[in-house]
Amino acid sequence: MTTTDTTTAERTAPLDNPPRGPAEEDNPTLVRVGAAARLLRPVRRHFITCGVLSALAAAAGFLPYLAIAEIARAVLTAPSAAAAAPTVWTWVAIGGLGAMLRLVLLGFSSHVGHYADAEMLRDIRVRLVRRLGVIPLGWFRSAGSGQVKKTMTDDLEEMHQLIAHALGEITAGATAILVGFGYLLFVDWRMALITLAVPAMMLLAYRVSMRSMPAHMARLLAAEGRISAASVEYADGISVVKAFGINGRLLDRFGAAVREHTAAMRTWVSEVRYSSALCQLFNSEVTVLAVVFAAGLGFVTAGELTFVDILPFLVVGVGLPTSLTPLIQGNQGLRKARMAAGRIDALLNREALPEPAEPRTPTGHDIELDRVTFSYDGATNAVEDVSVRCQPGTVTALVGPSGAGKTTLASLLPRFYDVTGGAIRIGGVDVRDMSSETLLSSMTLVFQDVALLRDTVTENIRIGRPGASDEQVREAARAAQIHDVIERLPQGYDTVLDAVGGGLSGGERQRLTIARAILAAAPVVVLDEATAALDPDGEAAVQDALATLIAGKTVIVIAHRLHTIASADQILVLEGGRVAEVGSHPVLLARNGLYARMWRAQQNGDTA
Amino acid sequence: MIRHLYRLYPHPGVLVRMGLLHLVLAILQGVLLGMLVPILRALLRPEPDLAAATPWLVAGAVGAAVYGVLKMIATPVGFAASMSLAAQLRHRLMRHAATLPLGWFTGGNKAKLSRTVTTSAGNVAQLASTFGPPAITGTVVPATVVVVTFFVDWRLALLFLAILPVAFLALRRAGRITAEADRELDEAATEIAGRAIEMGQAQPVLRAAGHGTTGTARMRHALDEHRTRYRKGLRRSLVPDLTYTAVVMVGFVAVMVLGAQFLLSGTLQVADAVALLVLAVRFLEPLGTLTELLGTLHAMDNSVTRVENILYTPALKHHPKPVRELKDATIEFSDVTYSYGGTPALSGVSFRCRPGTTTALVGPSGSGKTTVTRLIARFFDVDSGSVRVGGVDVRELDHQVLLSDVAIVFQDVYLFDTTIEENLRIAQPDATHEELMAAARAARLNEVVARLPQGWQTKVGEGGAQLSGGERQRVSIARAFLKKARVVLLDEAGSALDPENEGAISEAIANLSQDPNRTVIVIAHRPATLATADHVIALDGGRVSEAGTPSELRATGGTFARLYNQYEHARSWHIGAAPAP
Repeated sequence: MTTTDTTTAERTAPLDNPPRGPAEEDNPTLVRVGAAARLLRPVRRHFITCGVLSALAAAAGFLPYLAIAEIARAVLTAPSAAAAAPTVWTWVAIGGLGAMLRLVLLGFSSHVGHYADAEMLRDIRVRLVRRLGVIPLGWFRSAGSGQVKKTMTDDLEEMHQLIAHALGEITAGATAILVGFGYLLFVDWRMALITLAVPAMMLLAYRVSMRSMPAHMARLLAAEGRISAASVEYADGISVVKAFGINGRLLDRFGAAVREHTAAMRTWVSEVRYSSALCQLFNSEVTVLAVVFAAGLGFVTAGELTFVDILPFLVVGVGLPTSLTPLIQGNQGLRKARMAAGRIDALLNREALPEPAEPRTPTGHDIELDRVTFSYDGATNAVEDVSVRCQPGTVTALVGPSGAGKTTLASLLPRFYDVTGGAIRIGGVDVRDMSSETLLSSMTLVFQDVALLRDTVTENIRIGRPGASDEQVREAARAAQIHDVIERLPQGYDTVLDAVGGGLSGGERQRLTIARAILAAAPVVVLDEATAALDPDGEAAVQDALATLIAGKTVIVIAHRLHTIASADQILVLEGGRVAEVGSHPVLLARNGLYARMWRAQQNGDTA
Repeated sequence: MIRHLYRLYPHPGVLVRMGLLHLVLAILQGVLLGMLVPILRALLRPEPDLAAATPWLVAGAVGAAVYGVLKMIATPVGFAASMSLAAQLRHRLMRHAATLPLGWFTGGNKAKLSRTVTTSAGNVAQLASTFGPPAITGTVVPATVVVVTFFVDWRLALLFLAILPVAFLALRRAGRITAEADRELDEAATEIAGRAIEMGQAQPVLRAAGHGTTGTARMRHALDEHRTRYRKGLRRSLVPDLTYTAVVMVGFVAVMVLGAQFLLSGTLQVADAVALLVLAVRFLEPLGTLTELLGTLHAMDNSVTRVENILYTPALKHHPKPVRELKDATIEFSDVTYSYGGTPALSGVSFRCRPGTTTALVGPSGSGKTTVTRLIARFFDVDSGSVRVGGVDVRELDHQVLLSDVAIVFQDVYLFDTTIEENLRIAQPDATHEELMAAARAARLNEVVARLPQGWQTKVGEGGAQLSGGERQRVSIARAFLKKARVVLLDEAGSALDPENEGAISEAIANLSQDPNRTVIVIAHRPATLATADHVIALDGGRVSEAGTPSELRATGGTFARLYNQYEHARSWHIGAAPAP
């Protein structure tokens, strides 16, 4: 226990400064080579210890078999039973010792392996959290929180299989085969080679049967995907299915997917049926037994060997295939773990959002977009050459048809992505010259997706301004018109919100995030106006909360319903990523351009 | 376990055949091992007697040949079984899903269904073929060896026999404790998963608060907790895990010691002793592999449970003699109470809607509006009271008949991944082009179609992703026209997002209520819709708080008037407006 504690202490130091060479940062494909090895570096010593112990355990586990073979040999070759007694009892003792040793070593190996595993899981997760905290926010939009979850849990689960199980299985299996085969070679090399031929044939058959696996697996997975899609479609459209009596038709589609899966399986099976059957045959003790007997009888009749020489092959040789199975399974685990390690490593090495070497703090809160250009793919510009100035205390509205670049433009402000041309300045300072913390705490983002933490209501609001007093939290809640709702919750402000918001309606959860923003009192507000319309029953209350939030701030609002921004100080009309028009509502109406057309279309819709 | 598996399949024959085949194989293997005794007896004499061994050797050779053939057959049989079982189970699951009440299909359950049909059903089938054979070998071979041993030396046979129950008890205990530790660890992992999702969603907030690179305290706690639980579980299960290995090892040593003792004391023939020691190895080795199967069994158990959870969910109840015709579209609630579990979503609700009228349901969120519409379409059955359509309790109506006359236009309209025309034709496959056009015009879908690149032939994408929410609703309303549904249940939704659609949908609703035989019930948020409704039912906390015409209710100043003003206020809101007094 003491040894392991020291190693933990040693390890934490480099962990705080994760090694990042230039190659690791810049070339994600390069670093994936040996990803598993790199991820395991902190627990390398445990890892090796575990492997060595499990090999020793397998070697010790061989002793009882050896003892039985040697006891048999001793009594058969000795002139009398009594004469063999000392040898017999010596071998009994060796066998017993071996069994005990195997048990102890196995226990240690498993302990060390799992210990290293627990350590590695936490270590990698801590590193993932740290990396997730510095990569561009845009990644979370495209990859989604599901990707975060998958890497943090599923991929690590595969790694866990490697450390906790595959490693031990592989070393133990390999050792058992090597030691057993070595012993048999010592007894008689010809018989040993013949005996070994069976597992060798088995490996050969296995390789043949696995040769086309990737292609077949891909087809099977595709078929499974279709089964999944068909069942999702069925469930999603269930009310339509039932209402229109098209049950049969949709189930047909499902049936076709299942048939395709079966067909894919059948093709694979018919291709590998003989190789897999042979694999099973060679993997059986009975086969080894038969081979040993046939060869043994041959050698004995030829006068080369005596029956006594055959015994070790019956005791040790017949068990060889049993050691091979964990080897194969361990190998499969290893392959999966390597793939998972590659994915984890890729995320760990994702390029961080560049942080300025000497961060600057803005003096004012005016926003300046200076010929801003941005492209997601480097080919087409989602935003092109947009320039605008927003003074503190004014409202700037972004309008335009869907796909015009409104949301993209707004997300450049908090550096979800960095501009590919031009610059965005707040208070005269380029956003790229501010620390992430300064930049993000200078603005409030109110988007449609409500991000609540699974924590108490108080903490959910307080995260807007860490260190705020309970009274300040309440005040913010009152300003966001959510105080009364919170008071009615079972534990009031101490109610822990779960993933779905814990008994709060959509509009109420929205107002909770607005309370958080009110508390943060950031001078810049970036707002998606559709936020207010998420929950028709709570719309008015959300709107009131928003009105409180934006009073006196530099506001940038993505607008869908034009009448909500008719009194904005300036309206930026975007089309195809470019500024089509800019001006106030009356000015734009008078111009009779895109804005005027959109306005008329909406007014018509409203009165229809 | 076996019984559980057996019950899952409509045609378990293949499972039985596979089981029998492996049973025969295992017994044969045991018997072949047993033949070692007479063979070694003959061959290990000071003067080997090949003649005495020959019949046994021949029998052994024949047995091995039969074994080889059966083993070769077993592989394709296993594959076939796995395929057939997977297909059977998948079909059975989907057929059962078709009988479940519509209310069962919540987001969580839909995901569960798809996961179960795809992954769990596959796992169960595959595991039945990968777990079954080694499990049979691991138990039947030792049992056969014990029987054979009794013929040679009853004392050692008794020892073998004594090891078996101890080993099984140790195995069971290890399995139980490991399962417990796994469950605890699973909880910790679920917590991490939840925190990971939260971290992904709240990243800007976390960074603004300076938690970017450290995660929240709760995240850090979750990571530490996982490590702690892992280690604790490990400490708990390490000894029980090793106990099983120890029992097998002790058995091994005991056989060695006793064998040596009997041999040296002359109560056991040398050849017999050697044969029995060889048998002992073959007896104990399969036992050793059983522990590896535990993990597999555990995984299968989880998959079987997931499959059973769906298969044993009660189907929507069928009336023995259902009414097969809907007289008219009158909807009547009398004293309806319903709860999703917990506080009632509706209590004592009574009202009546006549054909040719439009009824608006209003109320704050959570007041039970959606539940009313769901009970009409029989997503669920009422706890007490009754819902009648055309004078007949919906539970006595043939569900298909009911649904064929009900059109449901909810917020989350689902379209199938095919053309817009196909999606409309679902409502009436043999509709003429004129009928299609008329329905589209009435639902103002024609404008949408006109705008689409391939018109009617435009593919709408999975779930209708190519269309906006409002446009999907228009497709749904067009379906209602096309199938001439006499009952239309509509959720107006937060269509405020898109004013053009909003206007179109309003008009479409007005068109729907033109038909004197149609009853329209709409969950309304728009003042325009509310004002034109014939009748308003205001709900609050699952009870009817007011009912009447819109103008009456606006005058009384109750729930309806308050909500009406609130909706009006919300619609006229603009950036820079003062908060409501």
